[in-house]
Amino acid sequence: MNFEQVIAILAGAGVEFVVIGGVAMSAHGLARVTQDLDVCYGRSQENIRRLARTLAPYHPRLRGAPDGLPFSFDEKTIAAGLNFTLITDLGDLDVLGEVAGIGMYPAVFAASQEVEQPAGTKWRVLTLEGLIRSKRAAGRRRDLEVIPELEALRELPPGLEKKE
Amino acid sequence: MTPDEKNRLLALIANPPAGSKLAAAKEYGVDLTLIAENLEMTLGERLKRASEAARFFKALQGAARRSRAEK
Repeated sequence: MNFEQVIAILAGAGVEFVVIGGVAMSAHGLARVTQDLDVCYGRSQENIRRLARTLAPYHPRLRGAPDGLPFSFDEKTIAAGLNFTLITDLGDLDVLGEVAGIGMYPAVFAASQEVEQPAGTKWRVLTLEGLIRSKRAAGRRRDLEVIPELEALRELPPGLEKKE
Repeated sequence: MTPDEKNRLLALIANPPAGSKLAAAKEYGVDLTLIAENLEMTLGERLKRASEAARFFKALQGAARRSRAEK
């Protein structure tokens, strides 16, 4: 998956989302391999509509579901559900309505920071503090294992990051 | 990152203060030099590297699966 491309597609369509999970950790500087993009999305009717329309051309379907299982990632489905693990033509994409330890989109938004890339794409990523909270709350071994790395990164002097 | 900033960062991760989270991470087995390397990159460069790693990992998984199936 080209993470930058997918983020640019979502941001360009005006979808309200925050990048969380492994890509957020990579964005902060952690050396971790992740295969999918995890985002937390706003649950307003308008945002659900935007999310559905934006992803439709990339044929989202449920990851791990048997072939032929009827599924349409449309407004109705999103409104009736919350968290979706999808495979799309762009790659694996998890769209979550709630993040463990933080809450729904408004709380996740409050625990995020805006970043901007040279192309002018602006998007939001969960802060290091937010990532630590969510990993602690998730509580699985694989989540807890990454906390020492996140906490170490928080201690590095500010301003060390190379600017775009 | 200026050369001075880089030198300070490398010195810090080589000898993190006792009792710090950096020291705890090093003790835990985290390779802090990889974090230092990432911090030298821009956000775009980090995402590009993450994307390349994801593609490589996926290709590797596919190759391993095919190899197991052939046995």
